[in-house]
Amino acid sequence: MTSEDKPVDAREWKLEPETEYRFELDPGTSLAIKLVRGYAEVFGAELAEGKYYIFGSECKAAVFTWQGCVIEVTGHASTEYLSEETPMAAYANLHIAFEQMRVRALRTLHRSPSYDDDPSANTEPPRVLILGPENSGKTTVSKILINYAVRAGQGWSPLLVNVDPSEGGWSAPGAISVAPVHSPLPTCSPANPLGSAATSAPTALSSNALLPLVYWYGHAEIKRNPLLMDRLIRNMGENVNEKYDVDIEGRMSGLVVDTPSSFASGPGANEHRQKLIKACVDAFKINVILVVGHEKLNVEMQRTYGAHLTVVKIPKSGGVVELDHGYRERVHNYQLHTYMYGQIIQAPPGISSATLGGEALTDLVLSPSSTVINFDDLSIFRIGAETMAPSSALPIGAARVVSEMQPVPIDPAQSGSGLLNAVLAILAPPNPDENERYDEEILDLTVTGFLIVTNIDIPHRKMTILAPNQGSVVGKTAIVGSFEWQDQ
Amino acid sequence: MSLYSQNHYGQASYTNAFIHPAPHSGYQYQYQQLSPPPPPPPPVFQLDPISFRREYTNRLAELNVNSRPIIQNLSMLAQDYSRFAEIVAQCLEAHIRRVPPWMKLPAFYLLDAISKNVYDPYARHFAAFVIPLFLETYGQVDENIRSKMEEMLLTWRTGAPNGKELFGVPPQVAIERGVWGDGGTTLNTSANFYSGSGQITKSQVLSELEFTLGQKERALQANPYDTTSQNHVNVLHQLRKLIEAGVSQEELQQILSQLRTLVRSAAPPPPAPIPTAQTQWQHQTPYPTQPQAQPPFQHPNLHSYPHTTASIPMPYHNVYENVKMEGSSTSVVQSSTSTPTSNPPPPTNIANLLSTLLKAGVVSANGTPLGAGATAKEEASQQSNVESIDHEREASRGYRQAILSQQIQLTSSDIIRKRPQIVEFLYDQLTAQCKQCGIRFADTVVGKKDMENHLDMHFRQNRKANQNIGRGHSRSWFVGVEDWVHNTSVDLKGKGRADGFHPVNPKATAAAENAKREAELRALHVVVPSGDEAKPISCPICKETLKSEFLEDDEDWVWKNAVMKEDRVYHATCHAEAVASTNNLAARLRTEMATGSRSGTPEAQSMSVPLSRSTPPRATLRDSMSKSPSRSPSLESKLAGMKRKVDHNDSVISGEADGTPPFKKLALSSLSTVSDMNVPKF
Repeated sequence: MTSEDKPVDAREWKLEPETEYRFELDPGTSLAIKLVRGYAEVFGAELAEGKYYIFGSECKAAVFTWQGCVIEVTGHASTEYLSEETPMAAYANLHIAFEQMRVRALRTLHRSPSYDDDPSANTEPPRVLILGPENSGKTTVSKILINYAVRAGQGWSPLLVNVDPSEGGWSAPGAISVAPVHSPLPTCSPANPLGSAATSAPTALSSNALLPLVYWYGHAEIKRNPLLMDRLIRNMGENVNEKYDVDIEGRMSGLVVDTPSSFASGPGANEHRQKLIKACVDAFKINVILVVGHEKLNVEMQRTYGAHLTVVKIPKSGGVVELDHGYRERVHNYQLHTYMYGQIIQAPPGISSATLGGEALTDLVLSPSSTVINFDDLSIFRIGAETMAPSSALPIGAARVVSEMQPVPIDPAQSGSGLLNAVLAILAPPNPDENERYDEEILDLTVTGFLIVTNIDIPHRKMTILAPNQGSVVGKTAIVGSFEWQDQ
Repeated sequence: MSLYSQNHYGQASYTNAFIHPAPHSGYQYQYQQLSPPPPPPPPVFQLDPISFRREYTNRLAELNVNSRPIIQNLSMLAQDYSRFAEIVAQCLEAHIRRVPPWMKLPAFYLLDAISKNVYDPYARHFAAFVIPLFLETYGQVDENIRSKMEEMLLTWRTGAPNGKELFGVPPQVAIERGVWGDGGTTLNTSANFYSGSGQITKSQVLSELEFTLGQKERALQANPYDTTSQNHVNVLHQLRKLIEAGVSQEELQQILSQLRTLVRSAAPPPPAPIPTAQTQWQHQTPYPTQPQAQPPFQHPNLHSYPHTTASIPMPYHNVYENVKMEGSSTSVVQSSTSTPTSNPPPPTNIANLLSTLLKAGVVSANGTPLGAGATAKEEASQQSNVESIDHEREASRGYRQAILSQQIQLTSSDIIRKRPQIVEFLYDQLTAQCKQCGIRFADTVVGKKDMENHLDMHFRQNRKANQNIGRGHSRSWFVGVEDWVHNTSVDLKGKGRADGFHPVNPKATAAAENAKREAELRALHVVVPSGDEAKPISCPICKETLKSEFLEDDEDWVWKNAVMKEDRVYHATCHAEAVASTNNLAARLRTEMATGSRSGTPEAQSMSVPLSRSTPPRATLRDSMSKSPSRSPSLESKLAGMKRKVDHNDSVISGEADGTPPFKKLALSSLSTVSDMNVPKF
């Protein structure tokens, strides 16, 4: 762990202006990168000179420089190379165009004279929907645009919306969420690609203490329950608009919506895909659609929405990595582990002090709480039947016994309840006013946290749960999805 | 973020409250408990001493200019690794000895920063070598740096968290003697000094004058309408001219004494004239003159480095006072009884300092009128305020115009064709960068302020992280819709609810509530039965003496922070605590949490220490003047004790002529200045 000189396997890379150093990590390895001189950024977040930044959990990322730099890399990367072809110039132009929209929107708000302005220009802040096929770098584009906006020094705090349940945003896979961002989002691991949700630990970056609003979809695949997805997106849009009504200045920062790849393409169910894009456009009042490197989708979007909003095709980075199913599974595990235990990545040998996503290495270590509760302490539901064909696949005239949107109570005492190792989403309390309650209210409640059922003791009607903290969950309502996790 | 901690209902907070004992029993020891033994090793890995030494030495090497971020970083590092205090001390000493003279001052600023902000164990380690190091350096550097060092040396007089000498009395005395000669500044010979036989050098007086002047000017900057400070500044400028022109030894001595009085008067108000603890706090805020009174976790002295504009004046607490208590007390008592009591104290004695001097014939009358200069200066500072706001607007407008002037069409072809001028907007436009996390700030007044806040945030965060090692954090619950919608604050502090189940930030809320409760408790008082003023009584709970004070409003002597229960007088705070602890668990938890959080903040310590420490009450003090001084009378208690004499004080100068030790008298009159400056008219 200690050595007298600089790390043994440290190597220096010299980057010319507008090039990037790309790397991919194998499971269980980590990499430390130090900016020796010059200026560099990782997905739009600037690196401080002389600090070691740790990357792990199979992170695949790139250090980009506008002005040129020298970096020192320690640790083993399965792939590493320099690339001169990046789409960063286009992304930077996008940022400038969005800044123009923000500035104009703010001017209109303040009724400042727009003497040098094009009167026909859009006076709405940018509300951007990013679409693209698998492995096109949608999340990275979202992150860069958000990071540039918060770095502008104008006090912007845009909303970042994640409607990709396979990614999970700041919470757990299966969830969709939205959070205002005030400081650059660090990159260190695919477990929290967009910064980290708030913990009780002190953090240096507010992007490691984000306050997301979370809804639980419960599955990785959109096609599993598109109706539910549609509803959640529209709920979230309502919340965003409520927030904008309260915080008019905040509205000027705009928002960026990162979407799942299944919005862009995918086998069958084209109808759902279109409906969900429509849901996003309506819910978040989208005025710009960015299509990442997908000609056909671009044309389709131009045709559908080109009349009343801007559709722009943007280049895809050559650095994006084809990700297989196994990788996505492992990332889900990293995410749940990180949700419960915090970000723990062993630094490469020889690195003594380093920052992990902007925080000191030990600062993001969390202690979840394992407790035993009675079966009756939690009301557990599943939305729709466990395995269900889409209604369109049913024989003509056949009615479904259980609708896709119906909450079905689950009895943990039944063997085969499917609760063991399941990820449960704990819901916010329902409306305190009895008269305001309704049957499907459970679908519209946000998530306050996630539990894992680690043991079920049917004879004693008790189960062991792993909770993120020591807060009581007694009397709460929980929804189970299709995610399971075992703490190894 | 710890704001959203769930620990208030977990076990951890109990433990925490006990790890950080309430600062009741002298926090010197408490500090020691807190730092060594080293905290449990961080779970991921730990730095060994050798690599720490290497790392720290390397980082020190970067300290070749007076850069606040570097000093702050190094100071944080020292704080984080206080278990390696010895190594830090060795590295720093070696560094100062090794580097060329022009690089020594920044290193001394670092030493200063670490000592004041972290204090223990660093002050102890530094005390071992600070005397030769300071004097050696002082001998090597040029005039300019010397005066900066002198300025720093003066702040060391009160640099310790308890307002005492930062490195203890002997080093302070030894250094001052080395710097200003054996003359007026040695403690051993200060009796001579007071009786007028000590030699005071012109440079010493000038140096103290510069220090005082700087302090006043900063106060003026902070509050351009402060006419008192304005007058002080004018007077001091004239005094400087006089000294430079050459004055006699005796005059030097008297000027020096006046200066010390003036500096003293800038210290926070003594508790005596303040009706409630609450108002005391309010009035300390705009007048942050004492390091202990800083907001929690701030880096107070860093603000006072010469290159920052928004500095906070540093007070100093005259070292002679403690030591010479015994020798001089008799004459103080004599002189105060001999002066006519009918004369009210001059409202702002320092405002007519010069005229007093003139009247007394100490200096010849060739000063310039004050009025005109004062107004001009006031206007100028207002002007600059307006300018800075304009400048800010201008900068923001400039950015907007620059952005709008970019020719970008939001089309697929245009965004790949154009060369973005992104570097200008993301880098060049924002020249100041945080070395910790790389976030950039504009080089404007607002940008600088933001960066300072940001650095303070890092400092707080580091400190919190340090205190929290091994404490166990956990993921917070997500916010509910209502809170999410309404939470618009940038730093996400103090608003909304962190989780769906419990109020956000229960700690802060509890602490705030507690502070309020405590302020209310402290405001309670019991009127001392007449004739009992001299009788020291102690609180049956903490066994410490109750402090009595004279309430000017009621014209009564009272015991502060006191309640009468069943014919016994308790500290109001002690009593409330005792009651609470016997009540329910929730109340107890609240108290403990507040205590726990208090113990971590310097602010709170300053607040609670003088209160809970065994301070001799006024009556005792009066006695002790003829006996022996109590071992460690706190500043407050002495001020409180002397408060009564204020009424008797009429002429400063004539008192000196009587052979009364000047300082005592001046300290007395300074009190009236203090009350004038810091306490609103009730």
